[in-house]
Amino acid sequence: MNRRIAIRNMALIMGSAALLPACLSGDKGKPIVTLKQLKLDAAQENLVSNLCETILPKTSTPGAKDLGINLFVFKMIDDCFDKKGQDDFLVGLEEFETAVDKKYGKSFNDLTVAERSAFANDIEKQSKVPNNKDKDNKANGFYWAVKGQTVFGYTTSKYFMTEQIVYELVPGRYNAMFPVKKKAAV
Amino acid sequence: MSTNTYDAIVIGSGISGGWAAKELSEKGLKTIMLERGRNIEHIKDYVNATKGPWEFPHRGGRTQKMIEDYPVLKRDYPLNETNLDYWVDEKESPYVEIKRFDWFRGYHVGGRSLMWGRQSYRWHDTDFEANLKDGVGVDWPIRYKDLEKWYSYAEKFAGISGNRDGVPILPDGDFMPPMDLNIVEKDVQKRFKEFYKESRHFIIGRTANITVPHNNRTNCQYRNKCWLGCPFGAYFSTQSATLPAAMATGNLTVRPWSIVTEILYDKDTKKAKGVRIVDAETNKTYDYFAKIVFVNASALNSAWVLMNSATDVWEGGLGSSSGELGHNVMDHHLGVGAGGRIEGFEDKYYFGRRANGIYIPRYRNLNGEKRDYIRGFGYQGGGSRSGWSRDIAEMNIGGAFKDALSEPGGWNFGMGGFGETLPYHDNKITLDKTKKDKWGLPVLAFDVEVKDNEKKMRVDMMNDAVEMLTNAGVKDVKGYTSDGVLGRGIHEMGTARMGRDPKTSVLNEWNQVWDAKNVFVTDGAAMTSAACQNPSLTYMALTARAANYAVDELKKGNI
Repeated sequence: MNRRIAIRNMALIMGSAALLPACLSGDKGKPIVTLKQLKLDAAQENLVSNLCETILPKTSTPGAKDLGINLFVFKMIDDCFDKKGQDDFLVGLEEFETAVDKKYGKSFNDLTVAERSAFANDIEKQSKVPNNKDKDNKANGFYWAVKGQTVFGYTTSKYFMTEQIVYELVPGRYNAMFPVKKKAAV
Repeated sequence: MSTNTYDAIVIGSGISGGWAAKELSEKGLKTIMLERGRNIEHIKDYVNATKGPWEFPHRGGRTQKMIEDYPVLKRDYPLNETNLDYWVDEKESPYVEIKRFDWFRGYHVGGRSLMWGRQSYRWHDTDFEANLKDGVGVDWPIRYKDLEKWYSYAEKFAGISGNRDGVPILPDGDFMPPMDLNIVEKDVQKRFKEFYKESRHFIIGRTANITVPHNNRTNCQYRNKCWLGCPFGAYFSTQSATLPAAMATGNLTVRPWSIVTEILYDKDTKKAKGVRIVDAETNKTYDYFAKIVFVNASALNSAWVLMNSATDVWEGGLGSSSGELGHNVMDHHLGVGAGGRIEGFEDKYYFGRRANGIYIPRYRNLNGEKRDYIRGFGYQGGGSRSGWSRDIAEMNIGGAFKDALSEPGGWNFGMGGFGETLPYHDNKITLDKTKKDKWGLPVLAFDVEVKDNEKKMRVDMMNDAVEMLTNAGVKDVKGYTSDGVLGRGIHEMGTARMGRDPKTSVLNEWNQVWDAKNVFVTDGAAMTSAACQNPSLTYMALTARAANYAVDELKKGNI
């Protein structure tokens, strides 16, 4: 994917006003996106972005960051989550950080890609263990919120809908039986 | 004064108002259609209709701001960012809920004809005779034969696609070619038919989406974005169908921003002489005069208009002498059904987004069957294949996961019931004069609920759905139900019912107000019972029939 497409997609995702690039130089603690409700510092913002990228990494096709999915995730949590959802998200983020620190002795942002994947996969595995009392903790809740919005953002992105699947704005016909191999039609 | 004088006034511009305007203006009457909200111009004002899903900032979702601004709309699916402008501003136009009633309104030219579900079914004599046979409410003053040719007339103009299925309870109409069942629906239909033979039927929905070009309208393009407004004019709406026909006569004037506050009643002639409006933008009051008035403000607001009219003669308003104005509020109760998985067909899909589903017409309490409730219900639903939205919790992360998201998911089949609600005198709306809307007008208070008959019916509605899907080979079938709050069907009916006796009904067999023969009410307010079919086609037929009668009577000098 070339950068021009990535930027164009990002602009579409960002819409008009909610997300504004801030000063990128200097202060490391200053967030790059301006949110109305959610208060995240730069490290937290990076963590969410890195988690998005862990869930949908760049391969031969664009990853979450290339497509600005991380920005979409911020926007959704900022605009669409209620107060409790946002509070839980923040507490979950902190607990997530703590859990990472406990396991690796460093922050999620400082983990290798393989370590990030391993950590996320652990949460995925936990969720499949029946009666696991940890599976509903807030750190996991934070993870699933990010994952849900990442997947939603990706699968409704212009890139996905025009290049990964067959989406026609005006199909013009209804084919009631359509053979499929790989790419889906919606 | 003379510039405000017409032959006919139509209050409201939705499905029935549009029909009234078309019929009256085509018959040569200088007509004015008064709409309380803004204008929405066909195609030009469908601002979201050609956007890709990715162009909506929240991809169609709902923000906390929207949830705050739309405390009623948020209760169900209509609240979303794709067509928010088509729903009423709830802060400007509040109402009072003595009991919860989900009232989803569209205050603009075209009304809910822009957002409607488009399913279009005829009634059967079983429906028209039901009140009489059951001793419920009052008898309909008409029968199927009175409406049959008007159903045809409405179908031919509106353009209803459907199959002539020959289901006894659901008369066939003058249809355009039907849409196709998809491969899974065909399979379910086959098993359904093997199991139920002719006792129950599984058919393609009959919908007001045209499948062949019609009256300068393009046939359906299978976008399934109807409720954004269709740039092809492929579904029936005021804008796509009745309004252009009415405008072509040169006899129609449309006045948006016109809130009708009362019908002006002349005690001497015992007729209406016109209506009074408040301009919603300027708050100025104007009077319009005409020989006949059609009230098509939607069932509950039509009752509101009547309640505010001729109050110097009848305290409860025009039509209240019956004691039934505002009573007998009906809707279809829903939020109950079942769904499950379909095995196989992994190498099959469908292409195009069909804005239609399957229909299972009523089968309960027919042919001598007697359940522990009366009347019945139908189902709407369909088979579909999920894409990315398949259970993501079951999957992991990474590049392979990303690739898997573009693979089709499993097939599902689901359907939900639409149940008949009985006309109960104590299910009513009243004027609450202590609470005012933005224009200082009294608002409606709702005291409406589902009662025993509906609650018992809902047990069958869920259990039957589970049983039928299971019998038709659907796997892991799960039923669901809810409390069936009324209003959610968005099929409000009954507040100015037709009948045979002015003592027990507001309208006569021609939709004339008994107390003012040149006032006709032909929207959902007129309904004497609710049946379980989607009602709009019946409003169209009733309106065309009443307009034809009104013009005849006018010519004869009777009104």
